[in-house]
Amino acid sequence: MNHKRVRALTALLAASTTLAQAQTTLDLWHIQTTDNGKKIIQDAVNRFQKANPGVNVNVVVTPNDTYKTKLKIAVGAGNAPCVFMSWGGGPLYEYIKSDQVLDLTPFLSKNAAFKNRFLPAAWSAVTFDGKVYGIPAENTGVAVVLYNKALFAKYNLQVPKTWPDLLKVVATLKQHNVAAFSLANKAKWPGSMFYGYLVDRIGGPDVFKNAVTRTKGGSFADPTFVKAGQMLQDLVKAGAFVQGYNGLDYDSGVSRQLLYSGRAAMELMGTWELGTIKNENPNFLKNVDFFSFPTVPGGKGNANTVLGTVGDNFYSVSKTCKNPDAASKLLTYLIDDQAAQDRVGDNRLPPVKGLKVTDPLLQRIQQLVSKAPSVQLWYDQDLAPQLGELHKDTSQALLGLSVTPQAAADQMETLAKKILK
Amino acid sequence: MSLITPAKPVRVPSRTRQVRSQNWVAAAFLLPALLTLVVFLVYPLLSSFRLSLLNWNGLGNTARFVGLQNWADLLHDRVFLTAIRNNGVLAGLSILVQIPLGLVLAFLLDRAGRASRALKVLYFLPLLMSSVAIGTVFRSIYDPNFGPLNSVLRALHLDVLAQDWLGDPRLSLIAVIAVVCWQNVPFYMLLFLAGLSSMPAELREAATLDGATEPVIFWRITLPFLQGTIRSAMVLSLIGSLRYFDLVYVMTGGGPSNSSEVMATYMYRTVFSSFNIGYGAAISSAMFIIVAVVAGLTLRATRRFETEV
Repeated sequence: MNHKRVRALTALLAASTTLAQAQTTLDLWHIQTTDNGKKIIQDAVNRFQKANPGVNVNVVVTPNDTYKTKLKIAVGAGNAPCVFMSWGGGPLYEYIKSDQVLDLTPFLSKNAAFKNRFLPAAWSAVTFDGKVYGIPAENTGVAVVLYNKALFAKYNLQVPKTWPDLLKVVATLKQHNVAAFSLANKAKWPGSMFYGYLVDRIGGPDVFKNAVTRTKGGSFADPTFVKAGQMLQDLVKAGAFVQGYNGLDYDSGVSRQLLYSGRAAMELMGTWELGTIKNENPNFLKNVDFFSFPTVPGGKGNANTVLGTVGDNFYSVSKTCKNPDAASKLLTYLIDDQAAQDRVGDNRLPPVKGLKVTDPLLQRIQQLVSKAPSVQLWYDQDLAPQLGELHKDTSQALLGLSVTPQAAADQMETLAKKILK
Repeated sequence: MSLITPAKPVRVPSRTRQVRSQNWVAAAFLLPALLTLVVFLVYPLLSSFRLSLLNWNGLGNTARFVGLQNWADLLHDRVFLTAIRNNGVLAGLSILVQIPLGLVLAFLLDRAGRASRALKVLYFLPLLMSSVAIGTVFRSIYDPNFGPLNSVLRALHLDVLAQDWLGDPRLSLIAVIAVVCWQNVPFYMLLFLAGLSSMPAELREAATLDGATEPVIFWRITLPFLQGTIRSAMVLSLIGSLRYFDLVYVMTGGGPSNSSEVMATYMYRTVFSSFNIGYGAAISSAMFIIVAVVAGLTLRATRRFETEV
């Protein structure tokens, strides 16, 4: 063999290994599949790469439901991406318990200025045993009742403040052959919102928390859960929902089509829906307003308490990441001032303080969240995965009148006893 | 070695030696297939059984050995029992609908000869489409508010028949099975067409000369001739129905309230939504046992039937 060639090859090999040492590649997985969502993250990544030469970020975008499975398989196989997105709550806690997620508390205490930019409520879904495992970044997604102002005006309806008010609205709409609520409950989480709010309005925020943490005698068999189930079924029996609600698919947009066509007057949904409507049917948005879930007479809940998440989409660093420092630094770019403002431009409300918002609906969401005494994370995301799945099953069955409220509560409690210590 | 135990020279007859060397060649050729079988079938099967003995969320070293607990739970699991029942309904209706329909279509197309080419392609189309696409399309066809199915029924003044197809627990399973059948009939049609094409023309000619009518030919000649194909079709249909997943998952996700849950959708949810790998593995292992037993019994039963005829 030609010596020169060997030497050249060795040199090349040596050069490439030193290059490989200097270069770090970080994987970043997220689920922002819209063009704007993708661009906002890619821009943030570009700013990070410019400020940190030698660090490459490999961004992978996956649609929502596929993502859940994909992440789980990757983490289970020991191939977790350095930075990954989650919804916090029970599923994230599974990863934490399995020692797969980096504790960001030391990093945040070193970067106090960064930490203090966020609304305090934003940390609740990613804080476990006093430690923080994720950065809230994308949006404030809390459930509100969106309604068609024109329909309300046509039938002389007032925004309902209490449950009896709501039942009156339902009755009037029914007289006129309009469904009160649009609901696409095939995936079960949209219907779960009704149940979560009813539990809160009847029993206050602690009933659910105590049942989950098994403290202060908390239990899923608590009369509050049974009563919530009963009231949900009362609503069904009053004919409040569109036809076929338990079989309709939210992702395909049918629940919104029912609103657009005037066949349904309201929808209980996360505030992201306003952005979706703006993209899908900007004309209709002029007709849309929203109100908070009504109170229940004699209930302990506060009308200002919200169900949802302040921060919706949290970014965490995996323990298998070879360069956790760079990954932690990347987190700060994902929600820097520029990224926050870009998201506002995309009709979203990232959970940072002092956002400049001009859109009136966004402003009202901002107020709603700032005066909320507490934010309850979506039940299906807050609960441990097994319980969350059962909760979705039982709430769909309650809505389908195929289980009694007592039986649904008992099923939850039986499983809770088994898997929660 | 040979110093300690002196090897006795064994005289091998040359014929045996030849056979033995042939065996080696055969084994060498079979090895890749065998390896594939072991790596992709036997090993996963055994690890699935092993996993079914664990309580594990699938992440890291958190697995706990629980013995047969998952299996014991499975026997009392209302949802699993519902899923088995639904798989049974699916299998029964598949056999009752798909195979006769496939047979009739194949027979008619075969009789129609060359004229039927366009029809053949047309009937074959559903099999070429992806299940996800079919599921999505039929979801909108079934939509109770905007879907064409109910609109057509109402236009025909059959308002009574306009239903909440996928949202009503009493109808969801049947609504999904109808689509499953629509998708799979072409497969059986194809199977029977192949069977028919291997039928010697003399059989039919001789029968016609003897004055046999079409129905007689169908019942007395064609059907007995196809019995081997029918048997395979039944076994395939049974096994397929017991493992069914995709259309159910896309159209209803097993709901509402587990009314269209089948074993595979329940297994998928248990593993990927509930993070309960051990229990999911128990479900999939139970599925394996059920499918194996049912397939074995069907094969035996149809074989007996065949020897009786």
